This record gives sequence, structure tokens and C-alpha cells, in this order.
Amino acid sequence: MTVMRDQVVKSLVQVEVKANEDGLMPGFNVLVNQLPTSFWNTVAERFMAIAPPDRKADMEKALVNCAYECGYHTGYGIVSSPEFQSVVMPMVTEGAKDVLRGAFAVFTAWGWAKSGVVQVRDGERMVIRAVDYYEADSGGSGLRAYMVRGVSAAFMELAYAEPYPNGMNTFSCEQTLGREVGDPHGEFVITKK
Amino acid sequence: MTQRAGRKSAIPPAEVEGLKGNLAMTSIPDLLQFLNASGKTGQLLLEKHGDRPEGRTYFSAGALVHATAGPAIGMEALVEMCGWDRGSFAFYDNVLSPKASISMPVQQALMEAIRVLDERRREEARPARQDSERSHRMAKSTRTSTDVLEDFLKVPGVLSAVIVGRDGFVIESAGGSSTVNIEDLGAALANAINGVEEMGSELQVSKFQDLFVEYGRAVIMCRPAGDAIIVVVAPDASKLGIIRHKVKPLVDELSQIL
Repeated sequence: MTVMRDQVVKSLVQVEVKANEDGLMPGFNVLVNQLPTSFWNTVAERFMAIAPPDRKADMEKALVNCAYECGYHTGYGIVSSPEFQSVVMPMVTEGAKDVLRGAFAVFTAWGWAKSGVVQVRDGERMVIRAVDYYEADSGGSGLRAYMVRGVSAAFMELAYAEPYPNGMNTFSCEQTLGREVGDPHGEFVITKK
Repeated sequence: MTQRAGRKSAIPPAEVEGLKGNLAMTSIPDLLQFLNASGKTGQLLLEKHGDRPEGRTYFSAGALVHATAGPAIGMEALVEMCGWDRGSFAFYDNVLSPKASISMPVQQALMEAIRVLDERRREEARPARQDSERSHRMAKSTRTSTDVLEDFLKVPGVLSAVIVGRDGFVIESAGGSSTVNIEDLGAALANAINGVEEMGSELQVSKFQDLFVEYGRAVIMCRPAGDAIIVVVAPDASKLGIIRHKVKPLVDELSQIL
């Protein structure tokens, strides 16, 4: 038995997602917003556009880091939530590898990116493929799935680095393919720093 | 008189009345077999184009009795000459052999000479072939899963090929029908493989290696590759044998990639 992605997605789309008066998603204990994806694409596009040529790489790192910070804490909220514990954990038989499969199933269920695990080398390397993600529709040039990059590295840390919150900055993610540049899918390779 | 690079030709065409010609028109084995069948006695003089020295073979009533090629004598000389494919030849009737260095029938001597020649050529080609195989492997390693999946569709009888994660995530697919919901297929396959693996676990046998599901004439074949499962859909189960044989190296290649 391993984590069955379709069962995770079907279970989680039935969970009521409603922020409380503090802007919290009670289930995952994280801040929630209901802004359209085009808003986030526009934010990234404008930040990249205003950065001078010699600072664009730094700006890109900053955008990835925003997603990474968010992904690390939200990811922890997800894997420690009652929903994850009741839906995903009973199917976990391969340890961290299965937790990652479950985490990307959740990532898909919430509509952040239709993505999944292609390869995991325990504690060393992970390859993620995303067949649909909102950053694929963003404007700009080059590979620019900043959110998927940051979140993928964060999930790997939650699975294999020091326990939360001490495992940050252990892994990094490189995007090797992207729908935004005409590839059939996005591909993300996460390795140790 | 043929004159070349300061070296005088051993064959004076103008003075030869009998059998003569060019090796571009015939091969040395054919020539020797002809002289054998004709029961000739005499000397066949061969001149290879290039720097090599000429060769001589001597016949006595159709039997090959002696051969020289530069310093080589007997079978060694015959091996050398069988490798020549350019040059000229002339047969001098009734020239007697100065000695006897070959004692086997012409056919047998030729077969042995060609066998030795082939072996030497294989040996010489080995480093080049190893380099070629290495570069082929390197070329293979640069192939993507998309390239390999496309090759699945070149196997006769394969309708589609899908790479599915153990969790049912459809990593990639090629071919197939647009009416099939590939994500549902991936989920169903992952659930089926899970069941099969649980059965293997209960029975305490090895992990599954092959899974074939037949639906009337159609068949679905599943094989593990790394963390994923390769699924091949074939509409005609009678071709399963050849499909299994042909896709094996492709599955192995995907295992390296995944």
C-alpha cells in the first residue's frame, strides 16, 4: 500500500475551506487568502520588470524564497492537520516518500499546481513534475514557476531535513522545464544545498 | 608496364598471355577456387595496390601447395592475401612451386584463412566499437522520458504507453485515444498494482515484475521502472510476445531515467 493520490484529492476537495475572522484556514492553521492567481502572476511579473538587469537573479531568488517560506509553514500545517492525519497517514507505508506523495496530492487538490512525484532518492534528491500550474500563464521570459520551486524545496525539507522548524535552507530547487517556455510540463529537481 | 611510385610492378601485363586481371573484378578466394577447379599447375602472382609486397600462390594439378606474401609464408600468407580487395593478378602456367607450405585442400585452407581474417578484423574493430557503444550509451543517457515513450509507439502493436507514479500520478503518456481519461486510468492502475503488491506481500513472494490484464483481444502490460510503473496498452494480445521482447530495453532505459 502506498498513498493513493486520487483518494487524497477526492477526500480533500470535500473539506470546507473557510477562513475565520482572523484570516486563518482552521484546518491547516495557516493564513488564507482568496485572491485570484492572476494577482500573484501580476505581482511576480511587476517585481521582475522593475528589477534592473543586474538584480533580476536576486529578485527571482526573493520570489522563490517568498513561496518557500510560505510553503514550509503551510506544508507543516498540512501534514500535521487532522485531515492529513486521517486521510493520508493511514496509506503511508514508505515513510517520507509517501508523505511527499500525499503532500503533492494536497497541493493538487487545493489547485495550486497539478503536480506529483516522479522520483525520490531518500534524503538526497526529488524530481517533481507539474502538468498544470498557474505560473505557466504568467508573462515574462524564461522559467518562472517561482511558487512551485519554493514549495517543492520546502516539502522536501519537511520530509527529510531537521524537524520543523529547524530544517530550513537544507534543500534547493531548480526548475528544468516549464510550460511557460513551451515545454509539455514543468519539471523541478530538488537537491541538497 | 605498370609503374608506380618508383616501384616496378611485379606483373608485366604486356608479357602475360594467360589469366590476368584486376581484383576489383573478382576476389582472391574465387580466383583460387577457379584454379583449383581447373586443375592448373603454375604460379598466381598478386600485387596489392599500395605499399604491401606482392603475393604468390603455387598450384600443382589444382592443389594449392605454397603461398607467400612478403615475409609471410603458407597459411599466414593466405590469410594476408584474403584481406586484399584491390590490386592485380596474373597466372603463369606451368611454373613449379619452389617449396610446399600448405597441405590442406583449397576449400578448407580458404575457410580457415577467412575465419582467421574475420577474427583479426573483429579484434581491430573492438576499441572503435567500444567507443561507439560508449557514445551510444551517452547518447541514450541524454534521452528524456518523452523520447523513450515515443519509441514505445514504434513497437508494432503498441497503442499507447503511460508512465504512472506509484500513487497514480500520470507522469507522462504517449499515444492512445483522446476518449480515455488518462488520470482515471493512472489512478485505477495504481490501485490495481497496490492490490497486486499487497497480495505478493501476503504470500511473502518477491515484488511484482510483470502484470498482464487481458480484455478480449486487448491487453495491458505493466512493469515497474524505478519509482514508477510503465503501462503499455496493446489492442491485440497475440502480439504480446514480440511486444514484451521489444519494450524490455525501453523499460530498462526508463528505469535509468526514473
